[in-house]
Amino acid sequence: MTELEREEWISVLNLVPDEALRAVIDNFPADWIIKPKALPQAGLGLLKMRDSALGEPFYLGEFPLSTCWLSISTQDGKTAEGAALIMDDRIEQAEQLAICDAVLSAKLPGWESVAQLVSLGAERKQIIEKERKAILARTRVDFSLLDDAGDDDA
Amino acid sequence: MGYVAIKGGRDAIEGSKTAFDFLRTQQAENEQPLQAGAIENQLRLLHSRVISEGGLYHPELASLAIKQAQGDSLEAAFILRAHRSTVPRIAETEALDTSKMRVTRRISSAFKDIPGGQMLGAATDYHLRLFKMELLNESPEAFRAVSKQWMDELDLDTIPDSFPKVVEVLRNENLLAPIKQSRHDQVPFDITREPLVLPLPRSAALATMARGEQGGLLSIAYSNMRGYGDIHPTVAELRVGYVPVMLPHPITGKPMEVGEVQVTECEVVAMYEEQDGKPMFTLGYGACFGHNEVKAISMAILDRALQKGEQHGPSHPSEDAEFVLLHVDGIDSMGFCSHYKMPHYVTFQSDMDRLRTTQDKQAQEEAK
Repeated sequence: MTELEREEWISVLNLVPDEALRAVIDNFPADWIIKPKALPQAGLGLLKMRDSALGEPFYLGEFPLSTCWLSISTQDGKTAEGAALIMDDRIEQAEQLAICDAVLSAKLPGWESVAQLVSLGAERKQIIEKERKAILARTRVDFSLLDDAGDDDA
Repeated sequence: MGYVAIKGGRDAIEGSKTAFDFLRTQQAENEQPLQAGAIENQLRLLHSRVISEGGLYHPELASLAIKQAQGDSLEAAFILRAHRSTVPRIAETEALDTSKMRVTRRISSAFKDIPGGQMLGAATDYHLRLFKMELLNESPEAFRAVSKQWMDELDLDTIPDSFPKVVEVLRNENLLAPIKQSRHDQVPFDITREPLVLPLPRSAALATMARGEQGGLLSIAYSNMRGYGDIHPTVAELRVGYVPVMLPHPITGKPMEVGEVQVTECEVVAMYEEQDGKPMFTLGYGACFGHNEVKAISMAILDRALQKGEQHGPSHPSEDAEFVLLHVDGIDSMGFCSHYKMPHYVTFQSDMDRLRTTQDKQAQEEAK
């Protein structure tokens, strides 16, 4: 299984290469019955922010959003629900991620490969975080008094 | 002369579109077409500008818009905004808190030592504005070398995931008024659904400026800086980074991250005035999609100027909500400007008729 909370799965799975995700989905049994619990949608989300000066909410802008909520029934009678919301136009991508969410949450056959994808995505997320932290590490200002600094203006 | 309906421009218009594309592709023998990723990364500040003025955080479509508009930022933002108007809105986030921003740049001109420290990040502030001639014929090897060595010999364990806000230091020292709960609970104004009819709440001003045109915001803010106003700002904090966008998971109901948006955010401290019986610093706030520092600072100055204008009546253009908010939108102003290129044959014919009549009358007067 994965150490991440369920609410973190989708964001890291969405960092996995499309082909790797597709390959895992293609390996799930073809006889599963997958039904929507809600109409899959692609549209926009409205992003509300709170200004840090006076604490008032305001709308910063919009972002693309695809949503999917589905249920899976296997031939041996197991059922599971999965859902995905992603900042993306592609409903099919949200559907694939929702299937992964269902498989992993109910440990349906093949859940191990989804868990591996989660690990892969988490690694990718860590690399992005490290690249960003490297920007900070390389540009941290070390203020010192002129007397202490000497000639070395680091 | 009566009104005459005309036609016949269709072929010319099609030809104009082809000519526009011809100029983009005329070096096809020697050049590769621009790809979306290259525009997003190598022209990232132009990309940021378009994504912010378009009001839609869609990096791929912003790149496409820049390519399609051949680098015209106003036209590109127009394409992005036209697209968003065709797509249904299906969700709204809770108010996001930028204290959780994954920061890539963070500076303060108010304090040397800020909690967490100052990090200069990626900025042109420290460049000499001298040409880097080696970029003219940059080799692929040289291009790859920078990112290859980026992570070498770095201790990242001391870098926190997020940073506290500098304004909270001032607030804790009672130099800023506490945030009122009544402000917290306000319902924001949606400028994409409601017309800008004055007077407007501050949330409408913030939303309008967040997708305003950088040059327009800067121009009016600059008038305040130069003396047509008296904000005298100090940048408490300017930060750039990525804010996780959260929505409830449909099954568990707990917040889940659907993605992240790059945001530039700025708080300026302005002159103090009496608030609730006590002198306190005042604040201005600016934020927008992407990495747009001049825009965020200009917006923060104008936010404070507009607050002042609302409280005491506007003394300068930058304190006048109508003057600022109805003139900073790039799509509006570019559209009005461009419409002058459209045929005005009938109205101009009328102008000519009136001028001739006036000249005739004057000639008759002089002949008497």
